[in-house]
Amino acid sequence: MSISSGRRHLEEWPARLLCSVLMLSSLLLSSCAAPVKQQPAGVLQPAQAPKQILVLEEVEVRLSTGYKTTIRPQTNWALAGTIAQGEVYKSRDQVLTVEGYDVHEAYLVVSGDELMGFYLPVEHNFAPISPTKHLRIAR
Amino acid sequence: MKSLVQRLASLSLIALLAACATGGPKYKEMSQSLTTPQPGTERIWFYRTSVLGAAVQPAVKLNGEVVGSAVPGGFFYVDRAPGDYTVTTATELEKKLTFTLEQGQPRYVRLDISMGLFVGHVYAVLVDEEKAKKEMDSTTYIGKTAAK
Repeated sequence: MSISSGRRHLEEWPARLLCSVLMLSSLLLSSCAAPVKQQPAGVLQPAQAPKQILVLEEVEVRLSTGYKTTIRPQTNWALAGTIAQGEVYKSRDQVLTVEGYDVHEAYLVVSGDELMGFYLPVEHNFAPISPTKHLRIAR
Repeated sequence: MKSLVQRLASLSLIALLAACATGGPKYKEMSQSLTTPQPGTERIWFYRTSVLGAAVQPAVKLNGEVVGSAVPGGFFYVDRAPGDYTVTTATELEKKLTFTLEQGQPRYVRLDISMGLFVGHVYAVLVDEEKAKKEMDSTTYIGKTAAK
């Protein structure tokens, strides 16, 4: 090995080390996603009468876990019940999940025209979003 | 040296293909002749399209019961009563999927793979019916006996 090639080899070391650290970090981060923030939703009060909303525009929500979830435009959502945070709507037009360490099926929790968060039907929990999102909906 | 690299590449390809689902009927051929679920039950489909990490084929559990394996290019299904379900696949870490099953709404669970520290993680995601059917077209039925 010549002196110049040996020096070049040494100069490449920090870059290689940085690459290795970045790769290792990304692998570790992908293994350690935060859980979806949840709070008890209490009992889901069943809907008294059938009620539907139509989401007119796409809404993208970035969760505190870093993952995002998208509500598609022109999807119908039927009232499933009510919790303290708002009305709970579920859809057969699209599958909606929220993801963190685990993946959970989710329904919309709407108060007025604001998306307050998600209701997780298996866990019976409310997953809040911050800030809330305005929904363009038709009733 | 070049021929050794070529041989190793060929062996890797053969190993990869051997790890994938082959032999059974394709979903596209089979979907028309499938029986409907028994009354009082609904169908949950499981499939894996990605051949990345083909050697990683963990058992797939539904509410703790092994129902199949995450074989690349393979699909299988189970019929269950409506209710709450949790899908888990045990690899380096356990990432679960929770969903509700209702009558008249079959569920489609895709088994994806992500990079892990030592081996890949296989985890379940819930997919829309229309999208899932397209993705499953080229997958092969592996049956419930594939569970290890």
